Amino acid sequence: MSANQIVTPHDLILVTGANGFIGSRVVRTLLDRGFHNLRCFVRPSGNMTRLRDLLVDRKDARIEIVHGNLLSREDCEKAADGIAVIYHLAAGIEKTFPGSFMNSVVTTRNLLEAVLKKGCLKRIVNVSSFAVYSNMNIPRGGVLDESCELESRFMERFEAYAFGKAKQDEIVQEYGRKHGIPYVIVRPGAVFGPGKIGLTGRVGIDTFGFFIHLGGSNRLPLTYVDNCAEAIVLAGIVEGVEGEVFNVVDDGMPTSREFLKMYKKRVRSFRSIFIPYSLFYGLCVLWEKYSRWSEGQLPPAFNRRRCAAEWKGNRYPNEKLKRLLGWKPKVSYDEGVRRFSDFARTQKENTT
Amino acid sequence: MKIGIIGCGKIADQHADQLLRIPGCEIVAVCDSEELMAKQLYERFPVKYYFRETERLLDAVGPGGVVHITTPPLSHYELGLICLDAGCHVYMEKPFTVNATEAASLIRKAEEKNLKVTAGHNAQFTHASCRMRELVRGGYLGGPPFHMEAYYCYDLGDQAYAKALLGDSGHWVRKLPGKLLHNIISHGISKITEFLPGENPTVIAHGFPSQLLRSIGEKDIVDELRVIIADGNEVTAYFTFSTQMSPKLHQLRLYGPKNGLIVDDDHQTLVQLNGSTYKSFLEQFIPPWIIAKEYAGNFFFNVEKFIRRDFHSNHGMKILFESFYRSVNGEGPVPIPYKEILLTTKIMDNIFSQL
Repeated sequence: MSANQIVTPHDLILVTGANGFIGSRVVRTLLDRGFHNLRCFVRPSGNMTRLRDLLVDRKDARIEIVHGNLLSREDCEKAADGIAVIYHLAAGIEKTFPGSFMNSVVTTRNLLEAVLKKGCLKRIVNVSSFAVYSNMNIPRGGVLDESCELESRFMERFEAYAFGKAKQDEIVQEYGRKHGIPYVIVRPGAVFGPGKIGLTGRVGIDTFGFFIHLGGSNRLPLTYVDNCAEAIVLAGIVEGVEGEVFNVVDDGMPTSREFLKMYKKRVRSFRSIFIPYSLFYGLCVLWEKYSRWSEGQLPPAFNRRRCAAEWKGNRYPNEKLKRLLGWKPKVSYDEGVRRFSDFARTQKENTT
Repeated sequence: MKIGIIGCGKIADQHADQLLRIPGCEIVAVCDSEELMAKQLYERFPVKYYFRETERLLDAVGPGGVVHITTPPLSHYELGLICLDAGCHVYMEKPFTVNATEAASLIRKAEEKNLKVTAGHNAQFTHASCRMRELVRGGYLGGPPFHMEAYYCYDLGDQAYAKALLGDSGHWVRKLPGKLLHNIISHGISKITEFLPGENPTVIAHGFPSQLLRSIGEKDIVDELRVIIADGNEVTAYFTFSTQMSPKLHQLRLYGPKNGLIVDDDHQTLVQLNGSTYKSFLEQFIPPWIIAKEYAGNFFFNVEKFIRRDFHSNHGMKILFESFYRSVNGEGPVPIPYKEILLTTKIMDNIFSQL
């Protein structure tokens, strides 16, 4: 064990959502770092391709695949048995508030209860999201970091995912406070890389059948999937960071316009219309008012809080991540973009 | 009107949304066996209390109040009895109960207690369906419907979605006698039962797993269903449920001795099929013109409703709630006659016994 690590390579580590876009990279990063005693928790219906691919040449590692559902307390107890560190990445794909809540909060509570019963946990890393922040009180271009205000008006924001993730963070913090469960919260920005082909919503939307570019000259809070996985892994093993929150963004982030241009050039070409932030914000104000006046005839999908969170444009420092975890991006932006665009282009070609 | 909601999952949000739009309604309490779920609903809507225990909710609502049961169907019957015993009226989400025996018992109990129950067949109360009902009552068909066709389709999405939805071997849907069908088809069947005169129709059902489900190794769940229903020699109906046919229709077609009607819930259109015929080539010119006018009329009707803020996606649910509450207040009959609720569950039992 390194001097500043809380676990040895022999300790049993649990990764929930291990077959996911980020989860599979967390597993690979752990293996690359010499942790060879892993338990990967996946849904019974989960696509195992990513995990199988990365486990092919890892005959030396002891990797246990556990199929289960975190909504089952029994499954959670099986998963948490004998675990030293948990990387909790499992997330629901639900678009409704109750569905998102159930798959984020009830599952996390079940896992934390199982931890209390099994009782040998050194740390749980809860993987959250930038979506939990509210930047309503931060000016355009202002700094959004770990100390910023969290969203509290979820029905106005009308984003079930943000609600689920914020409440998930709350329950982790509550169990930390009440039961002394050591935790770290990691909030990645927009994660990109091979495995995902679409553009982050922070660039724009194609809700109305054509692409509306809304990000303009905003710097995107991007993090390449391998860099993000590295940060998550460090959050679970570096000592002395209990109770901390880390935002994960890479260095040298492009603007939304630059990223869109790259995507059109390297992945696929399409027409887009740019709408400035102030104009779109005004449209969101009108939409929100109409939604309220019509008693939800049109749901408030476009509203001021979501508009600000996605397209206002802030600066996203990563100093805390570097200072406390010793993180630095393994993959440069240029290399990350090359890998991402190669993958996305191939996928597009295969589907057409 | 004091309202309680038992079961705080996805459909409960839709109930709460519509309840907020009904003047005089107050959601007194919500409860869920998973307290966190009850709390999240309580935190997002104007609700006085949240509980884990049904008894506490019933205390808060009090006799004479209405309880909406939005739990998974296996618990409907037991919870319904508990609510009726506590003196509350019951709005039961679909499917009403797991089988016809439970449905009959629950309705009997409500009648004994002089309380009201209804089933969440809100698709019967869309704008298009309500307009259809008015025309039928006004004699447009030239008599009772002679034949009906109901389509009720469901989009399973792509393979990944279907796999996630159906991959959980412990999911409550799998524990229902009709599995996936059980949770969905009551909307379509109830549209037919509204016009069946008898109580014991003949039912012939054919069901099978679609190619999509077979491709992901799913053999237990039937997602393609074709049904023939014959009520003696008077009325017949075809019912189609499909996850694969396109477009994903939600339609009821009614044919009377004189004219017909097509109710399309996807597009909220009601088309009158005039049984008159025309001489020679006029048969090819005049009816298309009349049908084009029908669709134009539907367009203007829908736009007008939208402008008047009366075109919500869950409009049928609100109308059903309001009709039920009126009947609870003694201002009208129950919105769905008990005979229809029983017949719907009976036909569903019959279908599932053949699969």
